[in-house]
Amino acid sequence: MDQKLVISPKFKIAAFVMMGIGLIAFIYAFISHPGRGWANLLINNYYFIALAIGGTFYYAMQNITQAGWSVGFNRIPLAMANFFPVLFILMIPVMFGLHSLYHWSHPEAVAHDALLQHKAPFLNAPFFIIRFVIYFAVWIGLTQLLRKLSFKEDVEGGIRFFEKSEFLSKVYIFALALTASGAAFDWIMSIDAHWFSTIFALRNFVMGFYHALVIIFLVVLLLNKQGYFPFLNEDHMRDFTKYIFVLCIIWAYMWFAQYILIWYANLPEEAIYYMPRTKGEFTPLFYTELIVNWLVPFFLLLIGKILRSKNMLIVLMIILMLGQYVDVYMQVTVGTLHKLNIGFIEIGSFIGFIGLFAFVLMWSLSKKPLVSKNHPLLEESTHHHGH
Amino acid sequence: MYIQKVRGILVEGNKSFGQISRDVIAPLDAKTPLWWYISASLAMGAILFGGWAIYTTITVGIGAWGVNNNVAWGYAIINFVWWIGIGHAGTAFSIFLLLMRQKWRTSINRAAEAMTVVAVVCAGLFPLLHMGRLWNAFFIFPYWNTRGPLWDNFNSPLFWDVVAISTYFMASAVFWYIGMIPDFATIRDTTASKIKKKVYGFFSFGWVGSAKGWLRFETASLLLGGLAAPLVVAVHSIVSMDFATSIMPGWHTTIFPPYFVVGAIFSGFGMVLTLMIIVRKVYKFQEYVTQSHLDAIARILTFISLIMATAYSTELFMAWYGGQEYEMFTFMKNRVTGEYTLAFWTMVTCNALIPQIFWFKKIRKNITIVFIASIFINIGMWFERYVIVVTSLSKDFLPSSWASYSPTAVEIGIFVGTLGIFLFGVLLFFRYIPMIAISEVKGILKKTSK
Repeated sequence: MDQKLVISPKFKIAAFVMMGIGLIAFIYAFISHPGRGWANLLINNYYFIALAIGGTFYYAMQNITQAGWSVGFNRIPLAMANFFPVLFILMIPVMFGLHSLYHWSHPEAVAHDALLQHKAPFLNAPFFIIRFVIYFAVWIGLTQLLRKLSFKEDVEGGIRFFEKSEFLSKVYIFALALTASGAAFDWIMSIDAHWFSTIFALRNFVMGFYHALVIIFLVVLLLNKQGYFPFLNEDHMRDFTKYIFVLCIIWAYMWFAQYILIWYANLPEEAIYYMPRTKGEFTPLFYTELIVNWLVPFFLLLIGKILRSKNMLIVLMIILMLGQYVDVYMQVTVGTLHKLNIGFIEIGSFIGFIGLFAFVLMWSLSKKPLVSKNHPLLEESTHHHGH
Repeated sequence: MYIQKVRGILVEGNKSFGQISRDVIAPLDAKTPLWWYISASLAMGAILFGGWAIYTTITVGIGAWGVNNNVAWGYAIINFVWWIGIGHAGTAFSIFLLLMRQKWRTSINRAAEAMTVVAVVCAGLFPLLHMGRLWNAFFIFPYWNTRGPLWDNFNSPLFWDVVAISTYFMASAVFWYIGMIPDFATIRDTTASKIKKKVYGFFSFGWVGSAKGWLRFETASLLLGGLAAPLVVAVHSIVSMDFATSIMPGWHTTIFPPYFVVGAIFSGFGMVLTLMIIVRKVYKFQEYVTQSHLDAIARILTFISLIMATAYSTELFMAWYGGQEYEMFTFMKNRVTGEYTLAFWTMVTCNALIPQIFWFKKIRKNITIVFIASIFINIGMWFERYVIVVTSLSKDFLPSSWASYSPTAVEIGIFVGTLGIFLFGVLLFFRYIPMIAISEVKGILKKTSK
């Protein structure tokens, strides 16, 4: 159990090459198409913010439900907590690109727009930046505390840290309810400044939760191929895939709830959101989003052969990672660029971000033991069988 | 593996297998206690009152109710949604917790499922009566008919409701019944009474407890569980769409489906808590329904209550953020303040604030406080439906058509009647069906008892 992750030089090189590609993509974008540069920065940032929120929420959830089966893998979501500080730095430039991203940040537009004037007490640059700082302060503060508790448990042992983590997880979930909702409204929903939907934050939150689990499972499988997590058995895999299966349905449920209610009522101020998405060049992506995130995993995860094959599951998880990209891309691009662009800037910047966060994840994992040592439920996880 | 140190003890008193059967069956063999007759007559009284109200509704028509052209959905729909919500407990308990391998479910699921079945029956009564012409109720089923091209409106959420609820009722009743088969066989094998042997023998379908039988039993439960889980979600999502597909301010909001589902589970769990505390006290089942069980329910309630609070605040925020005057009026002037402010704040207090006391272990351990809090949740969830149904309808877009609503004795009578049906159903359950799933508790005994 006392295994430590060793980062291979190959991985390091690959990660740095990917980061290099990303950097070139962004430099190219900001020189030639600044608008696309800003949009892509937001897309990629939000992609990983959603994952970090989802991953840490998953960890908190495991604590408060006293889940036993997953304890052996919990260092992965804990490592995802380290996304937050990096993302904080990456989000700072976005604050300088408000004009390119958010219609409400133009005073001249607000001056002629009664609705934006009404929203101005909330949607204004200073308050927007204050909220941004508060969100990250909450996330970083609480998740780092959770990390600390888990590492202290390794050294000192005892049930005390488990109980403390459980309490802190409750506090974190409480804080997430407000901050994650606020973040989704601020950074994504306010792109379409006139439009609103009450389920929006929840839908985005589920998106992050769903795909965070995809990432966690993917990392488990990949590391297992390298010889880590020797205790991983079919029942663990079954539980992960079940979890992902359920979340794929919940994601689709949220997606559908928003769509059907807006479609049914057909109120102009709401339906306008779906007009460019369902009619126009974005249409194929609109359906791709639903197919990749729901239909594909829904049917594939019913097949026993796939559930037992690590290789096939790895492929499926990578497809689902792309699914979230399509989801975030649709939410940001339609309102900011109004045009479908997929080229070097989009692909390169995404590759760069993947390289960066893969490195952050592995680096965080390598610093501490890969499996927590003194967790009171650890044995339920290492000798897990699902009956 | 089951680590008792963390997870707590689920069966206390170092029971043997035989003892569990004897303990659970004992109330069925004992003489019917006096309090049972008293409660049953109380329930009968309520049912009689309800019977009168239903008779009046059928003979006079909906005019006997307090509803009017604007507030066309009064008590009937409030109570319908309330009962359906309570009816979610059984399935939420049995099925979600079964799929998630939660061992503490075993002592509670039987009672929760019983509640579900009775609550759904109570719920179904309301839309039926709301049709006004009860004798035409069969019109809602799509079938080849002689009325020309007259069909159901398949686009209507009200029709989806009929389909969802009847499916849900059947699925949960079957699930409940299948779970009882081994226990009926146990009664058949142990009882001294000849009649009981015949009756329970008939209902146990010749169960012998062979390995094959168990294998099929467990597979069937798991499959039914997996199929019924989406049903739970579907039913209340569709109930929410009765409201949300309209364009009424306060109704048309995209968060409604998940918000209703969560609310339903919330009220269901609240009712389970109320009921289980009574059962363990009256039948002295403290060794089966332990502190750990009540603690687990209380913690779930805290979590769900936070979701409810998030939904309430999201709605309020969006009402302002959306910038539509009607939406803002409904929330700010007709809910937070105004004529219905009391109902609104009762809802917030009971659903979002009071359950927060469960953050503290000491309070979760105090059964009296837990019991009182569970009752508040039931009340709060009733007011939630009241707020949603009445406020939006009473003051809509056109001030000239604003109207108030207060229920008549007939409407209250039907509600009281369903309370009677519920109480009577639960009493029958107490009397004739083992209240705790004997076979399932035995299944977890080894690892979880002390």
